[in-house]
Amino acid sequence: MMASSYSAKDEDGHITVSGPGGAALRNKKPENTAFKQQRLPAWQPILTAGTVLPAFFIIGLIFIPIGIGLYVTSNNIKEFEIDYTGDDVSSPCYNCAENFSWNSTKFCTCTIPFQLDQPYESNVFMYYGLSNFYQNHRRYVKSRDDSQLNGNMESLKYPSKECEPYAHSDNKPIAPCGAIANSMFNDTLELVYNDPNGTNVSISLVSTGIAWWTDKHVKFRNPGGSNANLSAVFQGTAKPVNWRRPVYELDADPENNGFINEDFIVWMRTAALPTFRKLYRIIQKKNNMAPTLPRGNYTLKVVYSILKATDLNSVIWMGKSAVSRIRFKFFQVR
Amino acid sequence: MTWKSPVALVREALQGQRAREKDLRSLMSNLPYEGLEKGKQPNRYFPSNAIKTTKYSLLLFIPMNLYEQFHRLANIYFVGLAILNFIPVVNAFQPEVALIPICIILSLTALKDAWEDFRRYQSDKKLNNTPCFIYSRKEKQFVERRWKDVRVGDFVKVVCNETIPADLLLLYTSDPNGVCLIETANLDGETNLKQRTAVSGVCNSFEPESFNGIVVCEKPNNNLNHFKCYEKPDNQKVGAGIESLLLRGCTVRNTDHAVGFVVYAHETKSMLNNSGPRYKRSKLERRLNIDVFFCFILLFAMCLIGALHFIWLYALPGVPPYLVPPANGHLDSPNLSSFYMFFTMIILLQILIPISLYVSIELVKIGQIFLITNDIDLYDEETDSRIQCKALNITEDLGQIEYIFSDKTGTLTENKMVFRRCSIMGTEYPHKENIRLAVLNEPESEEEVIYNQDLQPLPTGWSLESEEANSEDTHRHGSRRKSKVLGTTQSDVAFSSPLETEVIPDRKLLQQISRTGSSSRCQKIDPYLEFFLALTICNTVVVSMATTQRRRPLTSDNLRYEAESPDEAALVYATKAYGFTLLARTPDSVTVRLPSGEVLVFEVLDTLTFDSNRKRMSVLVRHPITKEYVLYTKGADYAIMELLGTPYAQRHLDCYAKEGLRTLCIAKKVVSEAVYKHWLVERQRALTAIDNREVLIMDTAVQLETNLTLLATGIEDRLQENVPDTIMALRQAGIKVWVLTGDKPETAVNIGYACRLLEDEDLVLVIDGRTLTMALSPDLRGDFVDLAKHCRSVLCCRVTPLQKSRVVKVIREKLKVMTLAVDGANDVNMIQAADIGIGISGQEGMQAVMASDFAISRFKHLKKLLLVHGHWCYTRLANMIIYFFYKNVQAYVNLLFWYQFFCGFSGSTMIDYWLLIFFNLFFTSLPPIMFGIMDRDISAEMLLGVPELYKTGQGEGDYRFTTFWVSILDAFYQSLVCFFIPYFVYQDSDIDMFTFGTPLNTTALFTILLHLSIEIKSWTVVHWVVMLGSVLFYFIVTLAYSATCVTCNPPSNPYWVLQNQMADPMFYLICILSTVVALLPYTFHVLRNSIALSPLIEAKHLDRLDPSMREEWMKEWRSYRGGGQVQRSTLS
Repeated sequence: MMASSYSAKDEDGHITVSGPGGAALRNKKPENTAFKQQRLPAWQPILTAGTVLPAFFIIGLIFIPIGIGLYVTSNNIKEFEIDYTGDDVSSPCYNCAENFSWNSTKFCTCTIPFQLDQPYESNVFMYYGLSNFYQNHRRYVKSRDDSQLNGNMESLKYPSKECEPYAHSDNKPIAPCGAIANSMFNDTLELVYNDPNGTNVSISLVSTGIAWWTDKHVKFRNPGGSNANLSAVFQGTAKPVNWRRPVYELDADPENNGFINEDFIVWMRTAALPTFRKLYRIIQKKNNMAPTLPRGNYTLKVVYSILKATDLNSVIWMGKSAVSRIRFKFFQVR
Repeated sequence: MTWKSPVALVREALQGQRAREKDLRSLMSNLPYEGLEKGKQPNRYFPSNAIKTTKYSLLLFIPMNLYEQFHRLANIYFVGLAILNFIPVVNAFQPEVALIPICIILSLTALKDAWEDFRRYQSDKKLNNTPCFIYSRKEKQFVERRWKDVRVGDFVKVVCNETIPADLLLLYTSDPNGVCLIETANLDGETNLKQRTAVSGVCNSFEPESFNGIVVCEKPNNNLNHFKCYEKPDNQKVGAGIESLLLRGCTVRNTDHAVGFVVYAHETKSMLNNSGPRYKRSKLERRLNIDVFFCFILLFAMCLIGALHFIWLYALPGVPPYLVPPANGHLDSPNLSSFYMFFTMIILLQILIPISLYVSIELVKIGQIFLITNDIDLYDEETDSRIQCKALNITEDLGQIEYIFSDKTGTLTENKMVFRRCSIMGTEYPHKENIRLAVLNEPESEEEVIYNQDLQPLPTGWSLESEEANSEDTHRHGSRRKSKVLGTTQSDVAFSSPLETEVIPDRKLLQQISRTGSSSRCQKIDPYLEFFLALTICNTVVVSMATTQRRRPLTSDNLRYEAESPDEAALVYATKAYGFTLLARTPDSVTVRLPSGEVLVFEVLDTLTFDSNRKRMSVLVRHPITKEYVLYTKGADYAIMELLGTPYAQRHLDCYAKEGLRTLCIAKKVVSEAVYKHWLVERQRALTAIDNREVLIMDTAVQLETNLTLLATGIEDRLQENVPDTIMALRQAGIKVWVLTGDKPETAVNIGYACRLLEDEDLVLVIDGRTLTMALSPDLRGDFVDLAKHCRSVLCCRVTPLQKSRVVKVIREKLKVMTLAVDGANDVNMIQAADIGIGISGQEGMQAVMASDFAISRFKHLKKLLLVHGHWCYTRLANMIIYFFYKNVQAYVNLLFWYQFFCGFSGSTMIDYWLLIFFNLFFTSLPPIMFGIMDRDISAEMLLGVPELYKTGQGEGDYRFTTFWVSILDAFYQSLVCFFIPYFVYQDSDIDMFTFGTPLNTTALFTILLHLSIEIKSWTVVHWVVMLGSVLFYFIVTLAYSATCVTCNPPSNPYWVLQNQMADPMFYLICILSTVVALLPYTFHVLRNSIALSPLIEAKHLDRLDPSMREEWMKEWRSYRGGGQVQRSTLS
């Protein structure tokens, strides 16, 4: 035994470890896999000026056509803007702004003449805009009840406490509750074209299709389903304090009334920044021959109502710089 | 159950308390009281043997676990924030939603704890129910019971290969000599057998029922190597020490059965030794905590800016409709609402304090340790051991080491001793054949060659070679063949290399012995005979038979030698080669077979065991023929020298030392009967003493060990393989290597040359123990450190373990550097004094390994551990931490912060809170963890080939004070880009809050991931999967969430938001543009890479070349850089 093993071992010149227990003894040996030995094949890029600068050039080159495209597009956008805040004496709405009081039952109307130098050929979007209006204020954003707006009858009767102090009025639940709804923009804007032949043509403004489809059809729903009698459903609720009409009288069209009124939906989608605009109406192109809004003189009639109204003047505030400004804007994408 | 008055109960409890707290415990046998109720039991105050290591009970799990978890500051921070969110005026999110992160963290940790506790419960149950034999008076025999039934005062029988259930005082063994062998591997990892002897005075035919003594023992402690007690059978004290204690957890070997008296149950030494894993805080983590503190300042500043709310309020012209009063209808005053605003901002910006960073760091370290322990290069075939990482949280310190303190024996050397030379009566016997054998067996090993080369220029002046002239070729050839045979017969032994046992006798010495053996019979004391007898007798080697299953070198007589230290085994094997065979050893006798075949039995009168103060051991025997009392002493040369009666020429010893041999001296003394009798009385007194027992015993030993006569020997301890190479690499890596050894200066210097620690042109400091004591005195300490700083290496010789640890401490404190201590034996002090302690699991004790942070099996593993894993772990973790700060500041915190300027500092968020949580929890958590575990900036081959690269991690390394602020600034810049590009795009548009938040969120994700992509140095398939998976996961989750959440999370309104955005080309343009602009500053990073090439970048370029080219480049590059002279300032 010894002799045979001797000759065998002598040849390879060194002693190898073997024996019956050999396999069991080696059980602690780590597996020789690429992962465990950290030898996974790898791509090892080295960032140097030589590799990165060309990459930047290429990215730059890609951006050039995109930039040109965007520039051309934005030049094709026609915008016309009127500020009708009325804080200036020369403004037509000065009187309305000055004399407005929240409990007045009389509407204050002001008319603003303006002139379009260029015709607006295709569909025109009419926006109202507000400046320094912090629709993104944390407490303001919270002050709503989404399940009430989703048509939940329970929430209609018992609005969420997040709506406080705009949840109840005269011991009746407010529908829609909360500060957002309460402060809804409810100026009425009308556009009249002063035809050179002397007639004043009122331009038809489309008030549907201005909200997100998902909002109108999924997120916002009238309580009691789509065919319910709204005034009956909203029986026992109060209108928001600042509103002139209850929610079920926002529009004559039953498809655009109650919580699914698109003006309301648009307002409820709170703006991200304090200076924002919201889509108000769409002026649709009627035929291919005439422009939607021909060049000429127009009058904007504003039923001035909102936003300065507030019953919360218990605290005295100072300063004048951060006035909320209201604008009106045309916007057309060609 | 009988009724007891409360007073009695209290008294009982107090008595128990007192009995447990007393310094001395008196224990009685339980047998006379068997069957009596508990109150009558004499040992009732001591806990039973059932163990319970579980932390929690089923009922109290939740409160106890929560209590435990709230000890962590991070959890308190989280809960504080969640509570803050429940205050209506302050809250930023839905209160319930804010609880989610803390709930997830708490419940995950609780689950982990519960699982661990359940495992502990299971193992406890298994242990407690292990069978054992306890003596029962009723049945008059040992009956099978469970471990948990063992009580103090019971008699327990243990049989061969069984584990001992409690600490037993050994009373009886099946061995006629009262010896029981145990293996303590479970306790200290040492695999050699240890001999325990039954308490003397108890007769051989032991009957438990007849035991009527009282055992007085000390209070339980955790010292495994120390125990004292005495027994009073009949008013006569019999002392016993650790040599009679069977420790719980050890295994009985080679002994059929043994009976012991239970001294400690439950409070056993092994249980008391169970302290949890040690917690060390790494340098990087200390730096990290400073930066977290800066984060707090930053958070505070940002919240103060948020509290500018009141200025904004004052600037308002009236009460605008968007200011919503609280439910009572009255607005708070601006100052008060600003005050509230401050806390809202804290909730909002809480992510700035990177709690998730701590969790991630722990995960990364687990991953890093997994990879380190799985490295096949750090695995040792011979001992079948991987590297063990005992400290889990200092992996990155491995990449910052500047000083290594190393022991010599067992660290640089194998600690496998080979008997090399001896000097008897002034004659030197060089054993040249053995040296040749060593070279022959490992022709490929480099250090042997270097060893020889370096030997040549040594200015020895007086060489040993000259004495040995008669080297005959024929003889040499014969010995070679013989060695081969010996080598192969033991080849199936896993534990030891053949060298351990092989000694080829020196011809001259062999002749000398045979001459004396034949001419003069044992009547006259022959020095040669005496020398070998001393070697054979004076040790604690245990001879074991082939009955056990353990694998150990077998000698031809079926004898195995189990020695506590390898040099003892080496000597016994050497004497065996000369024909002096140790046949058996019992506590009372040693049996030796002489070359003539004659068998002598020496009566052992006493064994004065080795201790580190005396540095020697002695055996007192009675010579069977001359009937003389002879004391044989063996020890370190200096420990013996001072005791010699006659001065002896130091010449040979010095020579041995110069060759790097460890020298042992053997001495003898004949003691007269009167002296012995007198000494015996004192010894007995010392043995039974409880106080100062060690001191007394040592004193008695010292008393006897005087006026010795010298016999000498030299033993070689070979260098481990690749030691010089490793030391070279470490030195090139800018690490200063110090060797601290107990050896003589000559030995140390020689080893220093052999392992290339010393080279001719070096400035080297060699200092010995006495000088070191002076140098470390407070007034000289500074100068010493200054001097040492300028030396390339430092050798400290003749230093004690305590001095070693002091040296480490002084360097660590004075120079503020990262230190690492390596030790292969028992220098626990030094290992614990350093930042990182590394133990080498070698031949001798495992205490160093037990106390270490990392345990390796070979010194050469240090090279890869430091240069590769250290570098990787450090760069990975440092980069991950910096990235984490960047990520937390950039994402959300700053985006949310900038948004506050546009929402009247009201604490609004433009991103849904669920998505906020998901963003940190799922979308961006995995990539940095993967980055921290798997990134590989430079290949292992490159790091090993160019050790200079290690310098990048030393000192401040990658993670500097400026790095943090640069990354914070970068985060600020990126967040500005990510916020303001969408801001200007959507300014004055009809965008709503959450639609505005979507591109911000997406851009943040892209920038964060792309930023990481730039940081990632090597992309493996895992990287791709994780990175692309994160992006995909983000879109899938967000799309699914915005498709389903109609009114689920008021007031946020995520419904159909991402879908709408993804239909808008503007969204993509914003994402691309913001991402590109945000990452632009990285061009500077890149430009720096191209203009001033850092070594790391150069190495990366080299890495791409094919191996042969790389070799060439490496050489060229190193010569260009001047081989290790790279200034740290030039490194990045």
